[in-house]
Amino acid sequence: MAEITFSGVTKVFAGNVTAVDNLDLHVADGEFMVLVGPSGCGKTTALRMLAGLEEISSGTLSIGGRVVNHVLPKDRDVAMVFQNYALYPHMTVAQNMGFALKIRGESKTEVERKVKEAAAILRLGDYLDRRPRALSGGQRQRVAMGRAIVRSPQAFLMDEPLSNLDAQLRVEMRVEIARIQRLLGVATVYVTHDQIEAMTMGDRVAVMRGGQLQQVAPPQVLYDRPANEFVAGFMGSPPMNLVRARTSPSQGRVGLAVGDQRLEVPGAYGASHDLPREEGAEVVLGVRPEDIVVVGSDAGGPTLKTRVERREALGAEILVHLSVADAGAASSVAYDEDVAVARPTMLVARMAPQARVDVGDVLMVRLSDERLHFFDGSRGVTLRRGGA
Amino acid sequence: MIETTVGARPPRLTLRRRRQVAGALFALPAVALVAGLIAVPIGQAIYYSFTQWNGLTSTWIGPSTWTQAFHNPNLWTALENNAWLLLAVPFALGLPLLIAMLLHQRVVGWRIFRSIYFLPTAISWVVLGLVAERFFAYQGTLNSLLHFIGLAHVNTNMLGYESTALSALGITFVFTMIGTNTMLFLTGLATLDTSLEEAARIDGAGRWRIFRHITLPHLSRFIQLAFVMTVIALFSALFSLIFVMTGGGPGYATTTMEFLIYQTGFAQGDFGTAALYGLILFVLTAIVGIVQLRLIGSDE
Repeated sequence: MAEITFSGVTKVFAGNVTAVDNLDLHVADGEFMVLVGPSGCGKTTALRMLAGLEEISSGTLSIGGRVVNHVLPKDRDVAMVFQNYALYPHMTVAQNMGFALKIRGESKTEVERKVKEAAAILRLGDYLDRRPRALSGGQRQRVAMGRAIVRSPQAFLMDEPLSNLDAQLRVEMRVEIARIQRLLGVATVYVTHDQIEAMTMGDRVAVMRGGQLQQVAPPQVLYDRPANEFVAGFMGSPPMNLVRARTSPSQGRVGLAVGDQRLEVPGAYGASHDLPREEGAEVVLGVRPEDIVVVGSDAGGPTLKTRVERREALGAEILVHLSVADAGAASSVAYDEDVAVARPTMLVARMAPQARVDVGDVLMVRLSDERLHFFDGSRGVTLRRGGA
Repeated sequence: MIETTVGARPPRLTLRRRRQVAGALFALPAVALVAGLIAVPIGQAIYYSFTQWNGLTSTWIGPSTWTQAFHNPNLWTALENNAWLLLAVPFALGLPLLIAMLLHQRVVGWRIFRSIYFLPTAISWVVLGLVAERFFAYQGTLNSLLHFIGLAHVNTNMLGYESTALSALGITFVFTMIGTNTMLFLTGLATLDTSLEEAARIDGAGRWRIFRHITLPHLSRFIQLAFVMTVIALFSALFSLIFVMTGGGPGYATTTMEFLIYQTGFAQGDFGTAALYGLILFVLTAIVGIVQLRLIGSDE
């Protein structure tokens, strides 16, 4: 078991394409680190560099204190679970799991013992003589896990191991993987584009975009204190509402102009955030869907007049899509993969299924006093003092 | 609104029966082709093997052709030559496999090399035979090369001696098969999931073990196919090479079953015996094919 450290690791592919740009990341011994981000953000490349399947262009990568930049994959003592499982089709489950041990020169009885132990952990005991093609997707996934854990490596590397499973099995397997990782206590780097997997599985989550690390933090911290509007928009489903607004100070109090509407900002934010004091400075206001509530017309505080455009019933909750009245030139910020795009000013609110809202209703909504987020209008970074 | 068909008569044929009939109708043209082009000629060959046939008139003579044929030493020589030529098969598979593995590594200029290796496939075997004949001739390229590298004393005349002519033919055959088999193996390698190789690398396997445990098992079906194609070519496609390079000689040193059929039928005018030899060759080829099909079938 060991810790993993990326120090200024960069990967530049042919054609001067930078896939990973100056990555600094430390994974503690026994930690479950999730790398998450949209397609092309560099997370898989980072993992493949860690596995030794890609050369490192610059920087230093170490496992257990040993620099492994030029160490062959077979000598890194890491085990990897591939997206497509990469099970050897002509070998049985037992042979697949024991292959690395056999190559290592371990005795037949020792290989059998270790394979049986791993199979017991993964509940694969009845399938050891089967070939991969005779297994279901979930069983194959478990064999891939088995092949990794049987080796007792210094680190587990997992490249979107659940993406080929159906939704229900994915939920089961993410619990299973997290259970096994806790049981074995091996440092794990897990790559996914699914922010729900990231939130539910990782001790810490590293969010990447365009080859650059955006933020590393425990899942709840990422959710509550995103470092920038990309992280805010990526983590959470539905994502945080991000609305472009302009500062509108009045009588010493901070306010925001969202189109023709004025939004009162509680005074406490003036102390905790570096909100621009001048008139008309652009900021991005962020609010989570669960932090929007319907109020009466005379409610004070941060309120906006909206119209219900769509209502999505999800059973346990409803998602209400609201257009902001008199939005004028204001717009919402959304991310298409990793590119920020402007959309008409809309808010998505999460409400109880009993809420009596229908398409066409005009609603006054209040944004949570304590859970507003503010980001720089041009750079997108949080305006919270001390960063995230 | 859905129309109901209460009281409508059931169809005369069940769906399953109709599908069977349709299947049979669709298969009929193919069955007719196979029967016309394969079964009928085989039947004819069997019939002619019991006749004395000069190409125009045939006289029924019973099984005497069969008894005489098996006492003909030329038949056994030809069969022996065929057997010896089988030794070329491992080379006709191994060399292309090696070349395909190298090309698959995307070495510098691999596209040009691929074209060069495939070139023999696009050239008539008659031309290849002529080139080979010039290569192995006493004053040919091989001896020039030997002379060039200071081995002039090893002057050879491979096509001129019974002991070496068959080897020269085998070498030429290997050369002619390199293009096809290399392409076949390259196709197989292209279908190999790269993540398997990567998984093996992480599992600790080096190049040889990856080849032995991952690549080779994946290529097994391609190797089986190449084996069948190569053996069939060896039994039934060497005629042009032999005709151009040696004419079956010296003596009968390079006469294979296929060439013996030609000699017996067209040079000696004994089509009845030639038909019998054709049947023997057919059976030999069929045995190889069936054995291979069994091997392939056992895995599926």
